[in-house]
Amino acid sequence: MNIVGPDYLVFGVDDVAASSEYLTAFGLTPVGVTEKGGLFESLDGTGIIIRHKSDPSLPPPLPTSNMLRQQVYGVRAKEDLDAIEAELSKDRRVTRLADGSIEAKDDLGFELKFQITIRRELDMPAEKINAPGAPAQRKPNEIGVWEEMPALPRVLSHVVLFVPDSEVATKFYCERLGFVITDIFTGAGPFLRPKANDDHHTLFFIRTPEYMQGCEHLAFHMGGPTELMVAGTRFAKKGYQSFWGPGRHKFGSNWFWYFNSPLGCHFEYDADMDKHDDEWVAREAPLGPETSQIVLFERRDKWAPSGGPPPGAKP
Amino acid sequence: MTLAHLLCRAEDIDEGDAKGFGPIEGYRRKIVILRRNGQLHAWLDSCPHYAGGTPMAWKTDAYLNGEKTHIACHSHGALFDMETGECVLGPCLGQKLTRIALTLSDEGEIFVAAAQEEN
Repeated sequence: MNIVGPDYLVFGVDDVAASSEYLTAFGLTPVGVTEKGGLFESLDGTGIIIRHKSDPSLPPPLPTSNMLRQQVYGVRAKEDLDAIEAELSKDRRVTRLADGSIEAKDDLGFELKFQITIRRELDMPAEKINAPGAPAQRKPNEIGVWEEMPALPRVLSHVVLFVPDSEVATKFYCERLGFVITDIFTGAGPFLRPKANDDHHTLFFIRTPEYMQGCEHLAFHMGGPTELMVAGTRFAKKGYQSFWGPGRHKFGSNWFWYFNSPLGCHFEYDADMDKHDDEWVAREAPLGPETSQIVLFERRDKWAPSGGPPPGAKP
Repeated sequence: MTLAHLLCRAEDIDEGDAKGFGPIEGYRRKIVILRRNGQLHAWLDSCPHYAGGTPMAWKTDAYLNGEKTHIACHSHGALFDMETGECVLGPCLGQKLTRIALTLSDEGEIFVAAAQEEN
């Protein structure tokens, strides 16, 4: 089962216009979007699909107030869809759609869809750094930052779910769909990656009461920590509300910056996440401020020290 | 002596509208003023879901849900009654927002008392 990762996350929102504004300002590109909603994609084609919550074309809502309606996973090939259909059909209804994709529910009631991935292969440089003792990554005269530098989300990285039972959720994704545990926050849940993706995580569970079930946050990969901070600074300057960050997580090593959203969950810019293979042995730590991050900053308005006497001083 | 901060004029807040002010000295977060059924209400911009409280808007002054029927925390979608501050749906069900006492001058100016440190 070569699951690559999330292609799309589908939301039923209560304000399509506000959500469209938000997703565009976040750095996603609307593709054929109307007043009824549509797709907002990152550079590789993965992204967020929104519709009004009353739109009958949406999958049914969760029993909670969460707006997440469906997680759409990309797989490598038709054989992977056949394998998932065969596995899940053992104990639940699996619907094969006209385009060959399949739909089913996981063991906690989250709606899933699997399709041959729409991800376009990116060919872009990572952020380049220069450090003593190592070959320079930027050539002479190649500058690192400039005011208009691009800082757009590249790939839909991961989704984090509030789940009433992280053991049931973990069992389903690992035993039925071949996900692998990379690290565990004791009492919250595990970080998971699917077989065909070496990112530290594309999925993470946080155990919560039943009435909170849903999407806690989703994240998009940026080209590096500088792009992350540039994108977040531009977003915050437009009035969007920072929730947590910027900072750098311990598990996964990814830089993070989380923002509130009108989709009822957080949106995260992330960058420079660890890669793993099957040799990796999962670590475990209790969830808390110390284990969650190696550094945490808070944005402030731009400021600079200047020379000369203090303002208002007598000459 | 209690100092008071001028936030805005009563006429600046239309029926069904919410606006954020500050943060002003003595308050750790902004103060959200809204008008519902003609009455002004003020709440600390601090969702009680997490210890310490977190800011609720998704953008400057965007404190309400899409239908404009409730204050919404745009962290995890909690909905709060605009007049009582009670969470009616979402992760902090049964908890309340912190009410901020306002003073309205004869000239229609809205003041808040300075330094309610516990907020």
